[in-house]
Amino acid sequence: MVTSVMNPVRPGGGVSVGPRDTVGYRVFTWLNTITLVVICLVTLYPFVTLLAQSFSSAGAIKAGLVNAVPVGFNLETYRAVMRDGGFWTSYGNTVLYTVVGTAIAMVLTTTFAYVISKRHLRGRNVLIGIAVFTMFFNGGIIPNYVLISALGMKNTMWAIVLPGALSVFNLLVMKAFFENLPREVEEAAQIDGLGWFGIFTRIVLPLSKAMIATMVLFYSVAYWNDWFAAFLYVDRNELFPLSLYLRNLIAGASTTTAASAAAAGTTTDVISANIQAVAMILAIIPILCVYPFVQRYFVSGVMLGSVKG
Amino acid sequence: MKREPTARPLGRAARRLTALATATALTGLAACSGGSGGDDPAGDLNDAGAMSGYAADTTFRATEPVEFSILWTDWPESPVKDSWEIFDEIEERTNVSLELTHVPFSDHVEKRSLLISAGDAPDVIPLVYTGEEQQFAASQAVLPMSDYVEHMPNFQKYVEEWDLGQMIDNLRLADGKYYMVPGLQEVSVPTFTLLVREDVFDEVGAPIPETWDELRGALEKIKAEHPDSKPLADGFEGGSMLNYAAHAFGTVAGWGYGNGTFFDEEKGEFVYAGASDEYRDMLEYFHGLAEDGLLDTESFTATNEGEGTVTEKFAAGEVFAASGAAGTVQEFSTALDATDAKGTYEIVQIAPPGGPAGQVVEPRNFWHGFMLTAETRDHPNFLALVQFLDWLYYSPEARDLLRWGVEGETFTKSDDGEYTLDPEYSLKSFNINLDGDTDIGEDLGYSNNVLSDSTESRALKESYNSPQYVEYIDSVLSTRTPRDPFPPAPLDEVELEQASLLATPLKDTVDTNTLKFIIGDRPLSEWDAYVAELEAQNLQGYLDLINGAYERFAQENG
Repeated sequence: MVTSVMNPVRPGGGVSVGPRDTVGYRVFTWLNTITLVVICLVTLYPFVTLLAQSFSSAGAIKAGLVNAVPVGFNLETYRAVMRDGGFWTSYGNTVLYTVVGTAIAMVLTTTFAYVISKRHLRGRNVLIGIAVFTMFFNGGIIPNYVLISALGMKNTMWAIVLPGALSVFNLLVMKAFFENLPREVEEAAQIDGLGWFGIFTRIVLPLSKAMIATMVLFYSVAYWNDWFAAFLYVDRNELFPLSLYLRNLIAGASTTTAASAAAAGTTTDVISANIQAVAMILAIIPILCVYPFVQRYFVSGVMLGSVKG
Repeated sequence: MKREPTARPLGRAARRLTALATATALTGLAACSGGSGGDDPAGDLNDAGAMSGYAADTTFRATEPVEFSILWTDWPESPVKDSWEIFDEIEERTNVSLELTHVPFSDHVEKRSLLISAGDAPDVIPLVYTGEEQQFAASQAVLPMSDYVEHMPNFQKYVEEWDLGQMIDNLRLADGKYYMVPGLQEVSVPTFTLLVREDVFDEVGAPIPETWDELRGALEKIKAEHPDSKPLADGFEGGSMLNYAAHAFGTVAGWGYGNGTFFDEEKGEFVYAGASDEYRDMLEYFHGLAEDGLLDTESFTATNEGEGTVTEKFAAGEVFAASGAAGTVQEFSTALDATDAKGTYEIVQIAPPGGPAGQVVEPRNFWHGFMLTAETRDHPNFLALVQFLDWLYYSPEARDLLRWGVEGETFTKSDDGEYTLDPEYSLKSFNINLDGDTDIGEDLGYSNNVLSDSTESRALKESYNSPQYVEYIDSVLSTRTPRDPFPPAPLDEVELEQASLLATPLKDTVDTNTLKFIIGDRPLSEWDAYVAELEAQNLQGYLDLINGAYERFAQENG
């Protein structure tokens, strides 16, 4: 089981060190607190710097003057980025791809996982085998490209949404979860006259809210961050997702690209660091807002899985 | 073993993609989509829409409306907008409408490989630098342009007028054909060179250095004034500085190392640059700088990203001379403006210093040009396409249009050839008419990165660049000599593979030891041991391969 440190930090601050705690425990608690605070700061620092950069002037960033506090404070960069039509188009695309993609992915994953979670199903191993096979082997990029192209999905939302719509990893987690649901509940429903589909939609799914929330989180973050599918299958600007827009903005301006471009005899104009920072901040905000709320389910989902037998 | 559905680690994916695309192109898998490529050069071309009397300096106009697709790289700062009138203007003049296939700049090379390998590329592939066409040529996925240049009168005119014939011959591959046509430059100067803080050089009484020895003298004086500084740096892991320094020392290095061979005029054969005495002299020079604290060795080992970049050091007054291009001057200035030095500094881009080999700079260069995918050979308007591209890429009329817009509307050209932008318009990317309401670049699509800077006369090049840059061009052209290009030694497919197997470990050895020798991790007294290491990696076999190809090509092509 999980060893949880009971309330090491009191709301008012100060480490809880009760009279009955041993010295070893106190030391442990202190070290724990310090380590976690350090980890927290280390994780937070890049984000704070990014935030500071987004409010700073380009020159100050280049001169290396910006750490945690903005230098040359301005909101002009935010205005400039928000005025850029391409930014909002790609933002809208990403929201659309994420919502549609996650919805499709959830339908596919839950239904498939439910079927293969039934041990009495004949041919179940074949179905699992087909899914697992793709974890180890795939056609490669160019065959995939030719396939998507031949299916007429190039330059449509489907090229981005469908290829990633079933993650075998998520499928297997879901399957394990369904397998652990008490069979008796389903049997009771069956006796009461529900068919398999009714059991699935009216009994199993409502019991799996935590798991579903976790999966939604996995899928939506993956769709939100995905640039590769769009890079491969889309060559119209108005369909680019935010990730590709950002990648172009940031990777396109990195020194390595500049160097390789220079080796080829060209120069690249460098997008200033403050614009990059603003675009990144604006891109993380939605996920940042959703995460804390869904994360609650994520934790309880993991706990559910851990209570076995 | 967590596997997310679609997100992949970016570096790996990109690498895998490149490798795959290259492999596919090389093994000829893509050739199945190649269509009719080779044997029938310009026999009977599909000439629907083509002009019958098309000649140099006439405006191309298709006899019927035609449409061609073109690969379009989107730079993040200049996305194609609805307000762009450039494509309408081209259509109005030529009856050609262009359909764009967009690729983001960040990965455009990979995407290009993918599209060509999958047989799904648009007709015209612009932004191709010399050498990049080879992998596609091997599988005949692109057309041998040398078969069609007879239909390109403007191209031929300027190749001759600007004396580029020999350089064009150098583009020929083992089969004697070339598969891309480059952007022609009437004059060509090194893009990257040394940038110096002129005010600091003045302050310590050092003249602008003409040679590397003079530079050393100046650095010593600066070091005496600013003991905490390491005045010389390279923001590109040494690649840039070694590149332009190598020409002065009579060798190749850094970005310009290429396949590592250097043509020895006296011996009449290729020798290995990394094992030559000239290379050693260059290393000795830089090691000397490093030893005396004149060279910021950190900048030779770390990329110019994150903390402690050369830009930051330049702004902090720890570095006073560094590598860069015209854009770098801008970058350094922005950073310096954020410090107390604002208004007191002056950065100039100087001609690369000379050295033992004389006042020599890199050979003249082409700029990016285009290739055509093999499928276009079957396009009903193929001849019209070739004529159109000849007009677009090489005719002065089109070059003016692509850079400045419509004459009499956005700009005027005086009798002595001076270009003036109309005050209503601006060109912010080159700091011209900043008060103009409409930007001919951002808003109208002129001066774009894909088409506008490919072929340029000297007058056109100097028309939009800053006076400082024009001064730099003039100083290079008047005081430096470009090195002669090496004679061609094209390898066939099998040899290419052998050569890359041999060249890669050799280059790795050279790269590692170059740094070690400069920094002082390895004493230069071990030079002979180092050369022996190279020889143990079959250096001679590699040179035999290159020299064999050189002799073969010379025999076959006179």
